Amino acid sequence: MSGPAGGPPPDPPGRRVRTGPLWLALQLVLSGSLLLLFLVPIVALLSYAPLSDIVAAAGSSDVRAAIGLTFFASGLAVLAAILFGIPMGYLLARHTFRGHAIVESLVSLPVVVPHLLVGLGLFLVIIPGTPLYGLTHALGVPIYDTIWGVVLVMVFVSAPYTVLASELSFRAVDDRVIEAARSLGAGSATAFLTVTFPLALRGIVAGLLLSWARAVSEIGGLLVLAYAVYPSGPYNGPVTSTISVYIYNIFQTGNLRDAAAVSSLFLLIAFALFLVVRVAERSGWVPWHRGDLGS
Amino acid sequence: MTGAWTVEGLETRLDGFRLGPVDLTIAPGRAVAVLGSSGAGKTTLLRTLAGFLRPRGGRILRDGVDLSDRAPEERGLGYVPQGLGLLPHRTVARNVAYPLEIRARPDALRRTRELLDQFHLAALADRYPARLSGGEQQRVAIARALAAEPQLIVWDEPWQGLDVLARYELGLALHELREVEQVPMVFVTHDPGLAFSVADSFLLLRGGRVVAQGDTETLLRAPVDAFSARFVGFENVFEPVALAAGAPGSLRGWLRERAGPEGIAFPRPEIPSAKDDGPAWEGIVRSVRPGPHGITVEAVADDLLVAVRVAPDVDAPFPALGSRLRFAVDPATLRPLGPPGAEASR
Repeated sequence: MSGPAGGPPPDPPGRRVRTGPLWLALQLVLSGSLLLLFLVPIVALLSYAPLSDIVAAAGSSDVRAAIGLTFFASGLAVLAAILFGIPMGYLLARHTFRGHAIVESLVSLPVVVPHLLVGLGLFLVIIPGTPLYGLTHALGVPIYDTIWGVVLVMVFVSAPYTVLASELSFRAVDDRVIEAARSLGAGSATAFLTVTFPLALRGIVAGLLLSWARAVSEIGGLLVLAYAVYPSGPYNGPVTSTISVYIYNIFQTGNLRDAAAVSSLFLLIAFALFLVVRVAERSGWVPWHRGDLGS
Repeated sequence: MTGAWTVEGLETRLDGFRLGPVDLTIAPGRAVAVLGSSGAGKTTLLRTLAGFLRPRGGRILRDGVDLSDRAPEERGLGYVPQGLGLLPHRTVARNVAYPLEIRARPDALRRTRELLDQFHLAALADRYPARLSGGEQQRVAIARALAAEPQLIVWDEPWQGLDVLARYELGLALHELREVEQVPMVFVTHDPGLAFSVADSFLLLRGGRVVAQGDTETLLRAPVDAFSARFVGFENVFEPVALAAGAPGSLRGWLRERAGPEGIAFPRPEIPSAKDDGPAWEGIVRSVRPGPHGITVEAVADDLLVAVRVAPDVDAPFPALGSRLRFAVDPATLRPLGPPGAEASR
């Protein structure tokens, strides 16, 4: 071996080809229109509610309880997605079996089914008199109007995003890289922990974020199964509801001003959270952005 | 340090594709080239050796120990897949350190530094593989393979995507692996020129079957069929069907009399000179391909397209397309094609 290797190093990523002005204008108009659509309701809400109302909403213990419950329950739902969704994504990505397509379709179903229907379906199996009602009460995890009901609905509607994102991410990991690692001495578990999982992590985290967002925004299923949440299990706060149900309730009473204020408050919190995540990703201090992972 | 490897009657099936039986012996410090066109089963053979495909039959032995049922990580075999399989999320140094880290070797840091120095990678230690040139990536792959102290390196397409200089350097690195480190090697390529520059012996696959096997000299001197003759670089390869209609005394008739059961191959004939005693033929020039070692002219003679070499020292203009060209085929250069030991069908 002597001297430098032949072949110039590849161009650094991020260098872009010049775009034609017409094509660029088209892109700007199209994405601008979509952005406008996103902005209209946000601006409407924020301008409808005076700042003082938003501050007052932030100080209200009722609002805080609802927001607290929402984050707590959605956190549990994300935990469930990690525990159950990621292994399922791995299974679907790495194994072919009879009924693979059926399982995949079943996983995607919660994404398209109206969630009111999901709540109703779950409601039918947990009402008094059903075997599941007896079982859940015996185990101390009653579902109807408890945090377990909230979590159950949230998992149902949100876990598919983690399963599907994990499946895609695991599938995108090059088999040859895994085989090279195995041949270098890594057993199958070591290869998973040191190669497959780190390489899939970025996509999995994106899926978890979507799952969390979906869980937070859920309302349809909750209206049926856990309209109000009574203290029990891991939740021992006041009788409350998730923020979506809470806002729906205020709206139902015709109090538009309060509904707008609480909505605005939650919008600001959610926006701040996503901003932090995006900035964290760009700044490179999250592990999955290192090493030019095929970007 | 490294043992002798023996492959006995190895057979594999993959999605309806059948490979084998393959028999192979690899002595310490030796290199075997697995040749064949796309879909011949080269990668399948390598992945079976490495333990990623379960053999349907046969055995893989190292110093007499059967490894056929061992997991890939327990074979002491370094498999370098196509595209090298570098870990994209680890720097050069951490790629090289990977086999040492998973073995929790206390001297991991020192050994990594040694290997980085040996393969001129110290300056690139903190780079990620995506930011390296093809040649640099190859060196990382070799250094990392050596860190695992393999008793056999199995490499799929070492030369893929390398420019001329990097190919040359990789050749040097592979020689170092064999001669200094005494690590035997099995590598896959579809380029016989590169294979012959490194390998002592070869295995030629076609449709999953071994069609020729032996040392590189044998392959060049006695190709077994038209496929292997073309594969090793013969341009003038004619199967029996191409020679069938030739009249006695014509070029086709003359070749047919000297062909084996699978046809005949011969190197590019030259312009006849006074010392040639074979018959001379005449063809019409179809293409002219100049190169440093001479001009290759393709001419049609007696319905055969024959590649003729025109020596570079001939102080004459290039032959013109459509012009007539005389050439002589030295009977000593003719290679009748057929299985070893088969009689030519004279």
